[in-house]
Amino acid sequence: MKRVAIVAVVTAALGGLFLFGLLRGSPDRDIPSNLIGRPFEAFELPLHARYAPEFGPTLAVAPGEAGVPMVINFWASWCGPCYQEAPFLEDAARRYEGEVAFVGIQTQDRGALAAGRAFVDQFDLSFPNAIDDDSRTSIAFGLFGVPETFFVHADGTVAYKHAGPVDGALLDARIAELRR
Amino acid sequence: MTRLLPLRRIALAATWLVLLAGLVGSTAWAQQRALDAEVFAIGDELRCPTCVSESVAESNSAIAREMRVLIQDQLDQGRTRAEILAFFQERYGDWILLNPPRTGVMLLVWLLPVAALLVGAAVMLVLIRRWRRAADLVVDVADDDRERVRAALAASGAASGAAHAGSDASAPAPRP
Repeated sequence: MKRVAIVAVVTAALGGLFLFGLLRGSPDRDIPSNLIGRPFEAFELPLHARYAPEFGPTLAVAPGEAGVPMVINFWASWCGPCYQEAPFLEDAARRYEGEVAFVGIQTQDRGALAAGRAFVDQFDLSFPNAIDDDSRTSIAFGLFGVPETFFVHADGTVAYKHAGPVDGALLDARIAELRR
Repeated sequence: MTRLLPLRRIALAATWLVLLAGLVGSTAWAQQRALDAEVFAIGDELRCPTCVSESVAESNSAIAREMRVLIQDQLDQGRTRAEILAFFQERYGDWILLNPPRTGVMLLVWLLPVAALLVGAAVMLVLIRRWRRAADLVVDVADDDRERVRAALAASGAASGAAHAGSDASAPAPRP
């Protein structure tokens, strides 16, 4: 009887562990950024041509320099969810114009300049979108995949990172926290 | 063959140049770069951020290729393996290290397997001792029991000799 109880307990424990593994979803999504609470690394990247008249050929961003909260979005031309979230980013960038600085970075997408240009044109993205051709900036941000969006306080410290596509509600909620 | 006008020739040459430049500048670039063996040794200790259970050395994903080139650049600048691993750890946290650091909670990852091995060995030792003791135990068998077994064995031997199919029937009778 005692033996049966031991076997039952061990089987239940292993079964529980198995179920936990099956049902815990995608753990890679929940990896917190190592940058939270720290300033991001300053970067300077070439911009897509359509932004040159307004911002010049390159975009240099240093933490705290903008003086307003920032939303830094990493995307790639091959990434489906990036197409899904782009209209929400553009909408938010227009709504929060002057209050929050939006920056887009095409990354993990070496040599796909034309595809990147088509992407920014397709969604008529008004905020500056830069090209991280060798993915060094994405590595500096500790990026896992695309899309990922960093929400940065006005002083340049990273408040939150969202992995996966953003939508209007998420952007509004996170930006409200930044402005609090 | 029709002769091409100079303008067309120039256009053709320009097209080829653009195609060639595109090839050189494309994704293939990161792969074609000559990498030291040390790059792969370091990459072996780093987890590929976009993969499942693959190291930076093994993966062919875009980010792993860029990371290998970055490691090569840092080696060229004279950085040590420890410095390069620290560079990635600073940005990605302990998650990026395939060999977790031997401090804090991570120490458990290293100690638990050893502890499990020791506990397993102890359990085996106890069990083997118990089995041995059981084997050494002198079983007191009554003479009439001995006689019954002998008779049963003799009967089964005779039965199996007479008819092979009757082996079931010739099995020794269970003890009352």
